[in-house]
Amino acid sequence: MATEVVVPMLGITVERGTIVEWLKKEGDPVEKGEIIFIVETEKVTTEVESPASGVLAKIMVPVGIEVPVLTPVAVITEPGEEVPAKYLAPPLEVAPPAAEVSAQGVQVFAPASPHAVQIPSDGPIKVVPAARKLAQDKGLNLEALMGTGPDGVILFRDVEVALKAGIVPSAKVSTLGRRLAEKEAIPLEGVKGTGIRGKIMRADVERAIEEAAAPGLGKIIPMDTMRQVIARRMSESSVTAPHIYFFTDVWMEPLLVYREDILPDFERKCGLRLSINDLLIKAVALNILDFPLLNATIKGQEIHILPEVNMGLAVALPSGLIVPAIAHADKIGLREIVRQRADLVQRARIGKLSMDEIERGTFTISSLTQYDITYFTAILNPPQSGILTIGKTREELTLVDGAVKEKKVATFGLSVDHRIIDGAVAADFLQNLKWKLERPVFTFLNL
Amino acid sequence: MYDLAVIGGGPGGYVAAIRGAQQGLKVILVEKDSLGGTCMNRGCIPTKCFFYDTTTLEAAKTSQVITGAGTLSIDPSKMVARKRHVVNTLVSGIEKIMKSYSIEVVQGFGELIAPGRMMVRRANGLSKEYQSRHMILATGSKPALPDFIEVDGHYIQTTDDALDSDDIPARLLIIGGGVIGVEMTGIYRTLGCEVTVLELLPDILTTEDADIRRAMLRLFEQRGVKIHLKAEVKEITLRDKEIEVAFEDEVRGIEILRVDRILVATGRMPVLDGIDTGKLDLKTEGPFVKTNERLETNLPGVYAVGDVIGGMMLAHKASAEAEAAIANILGAKKEVKPERIPRCIWSFTEIGAVGLTEDEARATGRPIRVGKFPFMNSGAAQAIGNVDGFAKIVGDAETGEVLGFHILGTHATDLIGESVLAMSTESVIEELAEAVRPHPTFSETVMEAAMDWSGLAIHSPKKR
Repeated sequence: MATEVVVPMLGITVERGTIVEWLKKEGDPVEKGEIIFIVETEKVTTEVESPASGVLAKIMVPVGIEVPVLTPVAVITEPGEEVPAKYLAPPLEVAPPAAEVSAQGVQVFAPASPHAVQIPSDGPIKVVPAARKLAQDKGLNLEALMGTGPDGVILFRDVEVALKAGIVPSAKVSTLGRRLAEKEAIPLEGVKGTGIRGKIMRADVERAIEEAAAPGLGKIIPMDTMRQVIARRMSESSVTAPHIYFFTDVWMEPLLVYREDILPDFERKCGLRLSINDLLIKAVALNILDFPLLNATIKGQEIHILPEVNMGLAVALPSGLIVPAIAHADKIGLREIVRQRADLVQRARIGKLSMDEIERGTFTISSLTQYDITYFTAILNPPQSGILTIGKTREELTLVDGAVKEKKVATFGLSVDHRIIDGAVAADFLQNLKWKLERPVFTFLNL
Repeated sequence: MYDLAVIGGGPGGYVAAIRGAQQGLKVILVEKDSLGGTCMNRGCIPTKCFFYDTTTLEAAKTSQVITGAGTLSIDPSKMVARKRHVVNTLVSGIEKIMKSYSIEVVQGFGELIAPGRMMVRRANGLSKEYQSRHMILATGSKPALPDFIEVDGHYIQTTDDALDSDDIPARLLIIGGGVIGVEMTGIYRTLGCEVTVLELLPDILTTEDADIRRAMLRLFEQRGVKIHLKAEVKEITLRDKEIEVAFEDEVRGIEILRVDRILVATGRMPVLDGIDTGKLDLKTEGPFVKTNERLETNLPGVYAVGDVIGGMMLAHKASAEAEAAIANILGAKKEVKPERIPRCIWSFTEIGAVGLTEDEARATGRPIRVGKFPFMNSGAAQAIGNVDGFAKIVGDAETGEVLGFHILGTHATDLIGESVLAMSTESVIEELAEAVRPHPTFSETVMEAAMDWSGLAIHSPKKR
């Protein structure tokens, strides 16, 4: 049976990818898990494995065309099997005149006519078409760029970085203005030029720097790509998945004490510092095993309960939010959770996550324990069905056996997709999690 | 009712009138003398006529190939006549342009009575009041004199007299080593006068870069000019066709000098005839009319440009201000940045400069790097037979910003233009270095200086 190869989901904020290299040709035999192409997005460049063993029968999307994630790019057949007719539409050409529609009806961005881009006579600039189109749209001179792709090919990302860094067309910004913008990392896209014919002068950049620094009102801030994608995905999630919210107070002392108890031995044995978050990740993963529906995603008319529990952890970056996921959080031990968590968070901050790490999450934890926030609601991270929120641990007075006692509590919130998760299921999930967290010794007992 | 009334027809006033008319304003301009102002009649243009005449003589005299050099001389009356012809051509040219724009030019003495009201007294004694929505004061400047010196127009002259005199004195004392003094020194010395210069300050051309000053002083020495710095005139006595000047030199004390003529070049002061600042309550700064960056005075609708507001007293500065004032009248917010006004001096050779001197640049605390290229290494300079000079660029070592450019030598005043363009378009030094210049021309020296800033001048030996 023929298997489609698609551009994988590339994380919450990634909508498109560009294949920068095919490692296999049509007709090559491939093994499942073997790397067959390399895809590049705004965030990461990653290798994509073959989903099946067989023959790479047909490549539908050649190198250099940007396509939405999940677009089929190739077909793998069993040896001797014919390529199904629906995949035999002519492949996308590298230089169609304008945006084309692929066989699946997905918009495919293709470069505009190549003659519009100036190519120096001493040899063509190597540039992927999507990057060329972006550069052309923005009036960017590609000669000024150094490609980071194979053989110095200018990638889509290179153009984006250049645009962000303020390498805008030389005719539109003075050299001193551009140098200042580069130094101060001020994007020039929104800067109003006061020079002749709207040229951005140094004084304009200085003003932009001042405005960016001032916590002022009455500012207009152009959204960068990451923010635009976040904005669109968040509102899509909010509109398509009806959210319901549940809250419960969790008595935190047992978990805090448990951690204190095992911390020195854990550190000595594993050389890693265990955090409350690590315990929470493990407890939530175990809780999901009791409520697999919270590990599901909707596909058409089906609810797919996913085979792995990969726990996403929302990491705030200066420019937005990214959610790397700890793989197999239900199966692995605490040592591995600590190791993965520390590594993923650190790499998230420097923008070095792989696509798989962003894409594999099946449930998300969003923690604001560092803030003085009692509780909050969260928007689901599509296509996931549940997200857990954790507020600050606070001290409260409660009645225990008729006596007023001081207690440390934190309010946990759960947002679920009400299309597939009923209120009772969600309530049970949260209540069960509360039970687990308040009885850590039993919860983390490996029976 | 006019849209714009301009008092003064010099390079500030006439440019304002033409630009205003181009923009659809109904313009009246009053000039008491002749259009073109000091620049055309008593300044830039006459001195340039003399500069080129004397430079031609000097080039011919020092030529290794022209024979008969010993008999070459300038006929001063012809020199003055040529100048008059040039001036007349230019002035009538301006008149024609003004007429083509239907600008009403009134010959007479303009007086600012109040904002929007101007009284013009004509030569025939008749007076008439004109009203205008906007006014531009462009009355210019005149030679400023120390109060103990009385100008008689023959023994003691200002440039006003000197540039119209066709008798050349044998011995000349120039009081003042500023731009005017240095220019007149070049002209008179080349004409064969024995020239002495007295300067109160410790150096000539104090606004210029130290390297420029040093090079010019060296030329003064080579050409046999006597110069006394930190020297003050004590007494001037006229004795039977000879002037006895007592001055105090810091080094040698009181000295007596006998000359045939004194040229007073001690700066210029604003012309405020017809502008009663006290009565009008017009604010001043020192002797000059005070304006904001947009050339507005404190009187509503009244702008002022050029020498009357002080700063660099240069024709092109006045013209730039005039254009800015018109733009502002029409609603823009335009300023003229002094650091982008080129300074040009014509003496034994030319000086073209713009922006900060090296010392000024270093005083800003920014990281400074300097590039320099001697004319000696220029093919064009060698071919022309005059290798005096250099081009020097002062830039911000980090950003490549052109902070200052200083050129001394043949064509320096023409060469400075491209640095002004680089500065106003905010190009950087690498771009000045990269633009290809024609060979063999002096423009290559600008390119090479910019290259040298990066240590990459082609026609300079490797630095150790």
